[in-house]
Amino acid sequence: MIALLLRLYPARWRARYGDEFEVLLAERPLGPFDVVDVLLGAIDAHLHLRGLGSWSERRKGFLMSLRIGGFAAAIGGALILIGWVWAGVDPADSDPGFWIFSVGLVGLLIGLIGLSAVQARAHPTLVWVALLVSAIGGAMMVLGLIAMALVPEAWLVGDWSGWNFFIVGMLITVVGSLLFALATLRTRALPRSGSAFLAIASAISLLAFVGALGLGDSLQPILTAGFLAFPVGWIVLGLQAIRIDRPAMATGAV
Amino acid sequence: MVAPLPELGRFAEPAILILVSLSDGPKHGYAIMADVEQGTARPMGPGTLYAALARLEERGFIEALPPVDRRRPYRLTALGATAVAEQLRELSAFAELGLRRLGQAPR
Repeated sequence: MIALLLRLYPARWRARYGDEFEVLLAERPLGPFDVVDVLLGAIDAHLHLRGLGSWSERRKGFLMSLRIGGFAAAIGGALILIGWVWAGVDPADSDPGFWIFSVGLVGLLIGLIGLSAVQARAHPTLVWVALLVSAIGGAMMVLGLIAMALVPEAWLVGDWSGWNFFIVGMLITVVGSLLFALATLRTRALPRSGSAFLAIASAISLLAFVGALGLGDSLQPILTAGFLAFPVGWIVLGLQAIRIDRPAMATGAV
Repeated sequence: MVAPLPELGRFAEPAILILVSLSDGPKHGYAIMADVEQGTARPMGPGTLYAALARLEERGFIEALPPVDRRRPYRLTALGATAVAEQLRELSAFAELGLRRLGQAPR
């Protein structure tokens, strides 16, 4: 992976910094945060060598940091919550609630990447699996949403409808969040209250769903509470990250 | 006249952290990252580090030393020391003003 990441940088940049940069990348496990940071660094290097460095410098959100991850997690969680409630109040398949939900999901994935820097150094596999599982769940949800909007009555695969894809995708996403919350708890990278809240909400959602399969509708209120608490967990975690990563305003970087 | 760090836009904050890290002696990339993360409890990615290092080197705030085992240490130049001292004095003056207005003495 390191060789691939290095090749993204311009040849002139590699000639000057390539050797030492390769050593640096090999010094510790690379997590999603580092990989995205290197991708953004490669784009910046291309712009910089083409004389567009100052344009790149003005793109203030174009930098991996806890702050960006925190904003993405908080906004993503809020959109998921709004979308979920909206879809619950007006459960028409084509209502905007589900689309708001999807945008929130993208925010959540960006948030997971942005908040994962420290955890990935101690538990890189766990963090990558959490991201991969969340991304697969998110893709299934979006596929389900598109199917529900375009062919609401059709079966997509076997006897699985768009709704089946959506709800299973949701559960897989919750599993991804649970894994991420566990990695965060183990490293204490962020305050424990936020990651514990996210872990508990995710676990309740999963247990209630599994229970609901066997016990019917009696666990529905717990399932709903878990699904509502899950995005709140991301909001809390995001706000905690923003509080930790306050900008040093006098440097003019904000 | 020393070029102010805010000219570096989104790299101004990483740049000042790097300059402070180099204030007590030369360090290579990994040591700078570890030092910054230990001092601020905030992660610094390798892409950000090298984007900021390249800009600081271009402006003459730091200089590269001969590599040791493929790791290249960087050293603060006199210009870099002046720039970071100026920046820290501004930050300190601003912090003192804020604390005075709050009726609290600086620690």
